[in-house]
Amino acid sequence: MTELLINYLHFSYTKDMEVLKGIDLHLKDQTTAIVGQNGAGKTTFVKLLKGLLQPTEGAIQFNGSNTKDYTAANLAEHIGMVFQNPNDQIFKSKVLNEVMFGPLNIGQEENEARDKALEALKKVGLEDRLEKNPYDLSLSERKMISIAAVLAMDTDVVIFDEPTMGQDFAGKERIKEIISELRSLGKLVLCILHDMDFAAEVFERTIVFNQGNVLLDGSTRDVFSDENVLEQAFLEQPHVMQIAKNIGLDGIYTTESELVAALERAWFD
Amino acid sequence: MNIIDVEGLKYKYPDTDKLALNDVSFKVEKGEFIGLIGRNTAGKSSLCFALSGLVPHFFKGAYGGKVLVDGMEIKQHEIGEIAAKVGLVFENPFSQMTGSKYSVYEEIAFGLENMGIERKEMIARIDESLELLAIKEMKDQNPFDLSGGQMQRVAIASVIAMRPDVLILDEPTSQLDPQGSAEVFRVVENLTKEGMTIIMAEHKMEKISQYADSVLLLDDGELIDYDTPENVFSRDDLINHGIAAPMVTSVAKAMGMKKSDTGKYPVTLSEISREMGDQR
Amino acid sequence: MSAMTLYVEKNSIIHHMDPLTKLMYVFVSIAATYIVPVHEFVFLTAAFSLLLIIIGKVFMKILPIIAISIILIISIIIVQGMFHPDNKTVLFSIGAITFYQEGLSYAVLLTVRVINMLSAFGVLILTTKPDELIERLIKKGMSPKIGYVFLSVLQIIPQIRATMGKIADAQRSRGMETEGSLIVRIRAFFPLIGPVVLNSLNDTRERAIALEMRGFNTKGKKTFLNESREYPYRKIIQFLLIAILMATIVWRVLL
Repeated sequence: MTELLINYLHFSYTKDMEVLKGIDLHLKDQTTAIVGQNGAGKTTFVKLLKGLLQPTEGAIQFNGSNTKDYTAANLAEHIGMVFQNPNDQIFKSKVLNEVMFGPLNIGQEENEARDKALEALKKVGLEDRLEKNPYDLSLSERKMISIAAVLAMDTDVVIFDEPTMGQDFAGKERIKEIISELRSLGKLVLCILHDMDFAAEVFERTIVFNQGNVLLDGSTRDVFSDENVLEQAFLEQPHVMQIAKNIGLDGIYTTESELVAALERAWFD
Repeated sequence: MNIIDVEGLKYKYPDTDKLALNDVSFKVEKGEFIGLIGRNTAGKSSLCFALSGLVPHFFKGAYGGKVLVDGMEIKQHEIGEIAAKVGLVFENPFSQMTGSKYSVYEEIAFGLENMGIERKEMIARIDESLELLAIKEMKDQNPFDLSGGQMQRVAIASVIAMRPDVLILDEPTSQLDPQGSAEVFRVVENLTKEGMTIIMAEHKMEKISQYADSVLLLDDGELIDYDTPENVFSRDDLINHGIAAPMVTSVAKAMGMKKSDTGKYPVTLSEISREMGDQR
Repeated sequence: MSAMTLYVEKNSIIHHMDPLTKLMYVFVSIAATYIVPVHEFVFLTAAFSLLLIIIGKVFMKILPIIAISIILIISIIIVQGMFHPDNKTVLFSIGAITFYQEGLSYAVLLTVRVINMLSAFGVLILTTKPDELIERLIKKGMSPKIGYVFLSVLQIIPQIRATMGKIADAQRSRGMETEGSLIVRIRAFFPLIGPVVLNSLNDTRERAIALEMRGFNTKGKKTFLNESREYPYRKIIQFLLIAILMATIVWRVLL
């Protein structure tokens, strides 16, 4: 079983400004969404998990061993992360080679890397673009390349930073599928999100960050029902909750079908 | 009066063999807000470029049909002239900053200097744009020191100051966080109140249904529909065109709850609650 | 993120001078030290440049720049002191190394010229906003496009530097080592530089579109937000500078 144990995690770039002010979390199994406004410390937090930054205080344990003992490149074998902007990583002239870069780095054989890359590209729907130059594709397709590049590394933990940004309906649906498949493979999925509808619909657990602290941590359902906390973190409720509230329907809803079912019950009563 | 008149527009980028825009025709009246929707490859950006003259003047390629803005045929004029009539703002706020100006105030002046606007008039326009976009308090800051949402508002202000007849926003909030998007939508709302003609491509259907007078649905370079939000979002085949209706509409569809007056589905929160109230 | 400029915001009479006058001063003072290769005169010019630096309240900023060039200066002294072709008079010897008066005297001249050059440029660059200078040049007929390139480079290079950090993070996340032996570092070169180049090309294209839409290629007369202001004693100083340049030429010819 994969788990990340975070104890008393502090971090600051400069002496006088703490970005993370003592985070305690135990992450395992469930798919987890991290929400919060910009500057809340979400990206810094996941960079620490990835070993790209080192804690100023506290520790992160990955399956029982301290991440301090790994280099970022070592940790890459176990923890994968998809960054916000795909343009910050793409450098190969062919889609397939770009996706094979990570697997080869972490010691996969050429053939294995190719197979993993092909499989990953299929998941993101780019299996017919293998030989294309990534820069001839659109930004949202390049984002899919960067997702495939991490999936192909087959890590135990997969972190996404804003995967839905700039994606249309089909793109979001595809990312949903990818996340649920990762979940069924027993991977630990962690995702920074601005899209509350997506967070409510897809994730089992939601953590609200605010000013370097965890403001609320719990099942997605509980978190999104807590209007006060969301307001404190300057977040909107998901649209399903807004609709329910607007038409005076009690209860907590995270997906459209839940809301429709409840409405139908109320309707035919 | 029609401010935009597009007739049989066809366009193909150089070195491609597929039409990016295929026989598109529509008209827009002065002061209207048009929501431009469609999947990522539908041709939304190409249409935005065609309205602002970048297609064909900047991108070249094969071009057919006519685009008229305020009676001026886009194909026959240079981008410099067109820019005085059509303003364009796109996704990435960072690359819209000129980089040669060291304060927001001067950044907004850039376009006006190129147009040869007299200094007194220039200052009046800049002040007005600062006010309209609510960025007055950052006028002396370096544009690159701003957040994405603030930078995007500077980009809009820079274009608005040139007093175009039409403002085109191509996914202006796609790269912004929720706060930044909210800031941008708030000023977009201000601009609609000013009577500005706006064309906005956007994935957030809730925002489209909130602001748009008409929705233009594109797929595969073709115009699929051009109608009121409730008519477009009530279509049964939206999914086939890569679009999910606003949550309100799709809930109402699942319930079979049409509006009693128009026989279409509600598209906004207030519409659905009114409908629920009436029918209960 | 600040622009890549050495300008120091201070309130001094030098700051209020016309950028073009300062540019002219750079030219005249450097030229003069070459036209008149007389020690006293070159010393005087360098001292005057330093005086302007002090009046401009940026003396502390020029020191490190001069300090950096000290290596250059020392090598000038050693090479000229030992090997100048006119070397005749032995000044002193350290072991087998002999320094000659002619060479050292020439080395001093070169050194003072370098210090003058640095100070004169310092007067211009440390006390002048780059956009003010470029705008003055554009008003004098320089192409706005060339002006744009100068100004935007100053701001966009620091931005590119910021994205390089993000790129390194992204590639390390994909298991690429960036630290260690030379071979590791060489191997890391393309994955790090590739996205920088592609990113900038992408941004440049988008920025070109944005500039078009802001009428950058419009023919016809440009106007300026910043009024041409009246600079104190502009004409008289520029006249004096030209007169001095002429005088040095006359001096050289008559000497």
